[in-house]
Amino acid sequence: MNSLIQRYAGSSAASQQRRNVSTVDDDDEFSDAMWGSEAGFGSLAKGVPSFMVPSVPDPAAFLRLHTDDHADPSCKIKIQHGTTTLAFRFQGGVIVAVDSRATAGSYVASGTVKKVIEINPYLLGTMAGGAADCQYWETYLGMHCRLHELRNRERISVSAASKYLSNLVYSYKGMGLSMGTMICGWDKTGPALFYVDSDGTRLKGDLFSVGSGSTFAYGVLDQGYRWDLTDEEAQELGRRSIYAAGHRDAFSGNTCNLYHVKEHGWDFIGNYDITTLHYDGPGNVSGSPGHGYGYEIRVEGQTSANPPEVVAQA
Amino acid sequence: MSVMEYNGGSVIAMVGKDCVAIASDLRLGNQALGITSNFQRVFPVTNRLYIGLPGLGTDVTTLRERFRYRVNMYTIKEERDIQPETFAHLVSSTLYEHRFGPYFIEPVIAGLSKAPSGGFKPFIAATDLIGCLNFAKDFVVAGTASAKLFGVAEGLWEPDLEPEDLFETISQTLLNAVDRDAFSGWGAVVHVITKDQVVTRTLKGRMD
Amino acid sequence: MASADGGAYSYSLTVFSPSGKLVQIEHALAAVSQGTTSLGIKASNGIVIATEKKSSSILIDDSMIEKVAVICPNIGIVYSGMGPDFRVLIARARKSAQAYWKVYGEYPPTKVLTQEIATVMQQATQSGGVRPFGVSLLVAGWDIHRGPSLYQVDPSGSFWAWKASAIGKNMINAKTFLEKRYNDDISLEDAIHTALLTLKEGFEGQMTEKTIEIGVITVPTIEELEAGKEGGESGRPRPTFRKLTEEEVKDYLAL
Repeated sequence: MNSLIQRYAGSSAASQQRRNVSTVDDDDEFSDAMWGSEAGFGSLAKGVPSFMVPSVPDPAAFLRLHTDDHADPSCKIKIQHGTTTLAFRFQGGVIVAVDSRATAGSYVASGTVKKVIEINPYLLGTMAGGAADCQYWETYLGMHCRLHELRNRERISVSAASKYLSNLVYSYKGMGLSMGTMICGWDKTGPALFYVDSDGTRLKGDLFSVGSGSTFAYGVLDQGYRWDLTDEEAQELGRRSIYAAGHRDAFSGNTCNLYHVKEHGWDFIGNYDITTLHYDGPGNVSGSPGHGYGYEIRVEGQTSANPPEVVAQA
Repeated sequence: MSVMEYNGGSVIAMVGKDCVAIASDLRLGNQALGITSNFQRVFPVTNRLYIGLPGLGTDVTTLRERFRYRVNMYTIKEERDIQPETFAHLVSSTLYEHRFGPYFIEPVIAGLSKAPSGGFKPFIAATDLIGCLNFAKDFVVAGTASAKLFGVAEGLWEPDLEPEDLFETISQTLLNAVDRDAFSGWGAVVHVITKDQVVTRTLKGRMD
Repeated sequence: MASADGGAYSYSLTVFSPSGKLVQIEHALAAVSQGTTSLGIKASNGIVIATEKKSSSILIDDSMIEKVAVICPNIGIVYSGMGPDFRVLIARARKSAQAYWKVYGEYPPTKVLTQEIATVMQQATQSGGVRPFGVSLLVAGWDIHRGPSLYQVDPSGSFWAWKASAIGKNMINAKTFLEKRYNDDISLEDAIHTALLTLKEGFEGQMTEKTIEIGVITVPTIEELEAGKEGGESGRPRPTFRKLTEEEVKDYLAL
């Protein structure tokens, strides 16, 4: 009885660790996880995956010492930070748009990152913060959404799914998880959108943008957003907002991935190069302005430095 | 936060056959925020000598004026154009004067120097922010993308490139290197210096 | 008041006399013309500067007297007038050359160094509590820009470039002699001999390697310059100015 109380009492990170470590110890010497039969998701039967932790008195403090948290960019382990992601709800569903740049310090480590995680055919998660944290936990979330379906013979609501994720990351609070994500989908209530981050925040809303470029995206988003946007207008707004962030923010860019969640599930709309958007625009797609998004291109012949041609007076 | 990365920007110079080239990106940022895509940081010193000043934006302007003053004084006093070697030493000593409160600039110098026989010899050099001179026979780099520039230049540069080939090499080196640097990019400018002329071209680059 | 010696104006360094003269400077020039004769000749492939080195007593160890001074590897100076003033100017000139080297990584061109010395000498004609330098100088140097050049600097701070010039006691005669002997394509060897002949004109006593000092500029060849730029064998370029050793002077006198 004492051991039971000890095992489940307290919600601090340290006690959580003790719990997880002891879970590992309880396993057979050669658990299924070791053979990879559970795809690395550990002892699923016990409800919570388990992790190896450094054998030091305070693992969280140890990790913090070596991990890139905003205050110390010179640390040894760098976690992907710069990003722009956005999602908004409107009459025609949910638009999800993200950039594709991964940076380590000032180094552009990749320009082709998939920051929209396809949890299942009607749920999308976005990725900001630690790439590994987002990928792992949102995939893990997908497994539990499927289990929910099997147990209850109906799809999990976006609200429930996001709350599951939120509770999960909250249990690791203080241990260095870094994620800012938007869970987007369509359920019985219609289009749904939740913001979840590793601090434990969970917000329901119509419009979110997350990441270092979010301010730039909000700028475009706020002035163009209406509930009754057409599908074409909404997609163009998402594209244009990610372009703005990719252009101005050093840590965002390369390409824009655009998704549209509708009643039947999500559709991948397209992948757009930010530089192509700047000079030429999105090309022959619905909602396209027919020219580049770039300022110089947009105002060609309209500025004092490059004035419009004087039309002959009658 | 590093002062050297506050505004971003990078410069590279390369030696060719009887010619040199110097190139820079055009971004001026405020940390992650891009401010302008037409910030010039490469300046002519004489008809056959250029200097690039990557680093803190405010010091680009200040140092440019300082060198303009000192080179003008030299030209009047000595009644001749300053030679690249001499100018490199001038840059070095000017920077070292501020050893304990330096300008946050790592200059790159490229030019043709007059040979005793009457011809012209390619010259490039770079210094750190307190004036340690680095004379190179192939290429020099500086700025937030310097590590990336080293890598690409090491792969693309070859000896005795003609002016047009040198232009292609330095352009591709710069453009591809700054695409891997968050603080450099937003267009580029390239100067190719030969004994008869300087060809300046502005390049379109990635705008993210 | 307007007496022959300058009268009331003769003691103030910085006050013009009614006739527009600074009398102290004229006195300084008088001091120079009492000094031993020095001369310089620019040849097609170099320059020679020479002076007589006379000591007032046979007891003086004249091997320690130096009247031709090396300023930096490409510049040398000889003087007529007051030895101690010359020493001060030499120290200033050497410092100035090193300061230039510190900034530009090379030694100053002859004209720039001459200008620096001339500035020092001019300042002594306009500052309080000092007197003008009692020397005239002949500055011989070589630089890539102008090649070999020979300058004369006077106590007033004026300076001129010469093909050949003489200063000191017998300067009038010596100059007349040089005018007769000089031609534009004279070689360095011939110039050295002409220099010795010119000195001999007004020389009192025996002219020996002990009583003569000679410095020469040798114009480097293009090959030497190209090699020097790469650092050469010794890692530093060969000096273009050097003083002739007593043996060398002896050989020239013997010819």
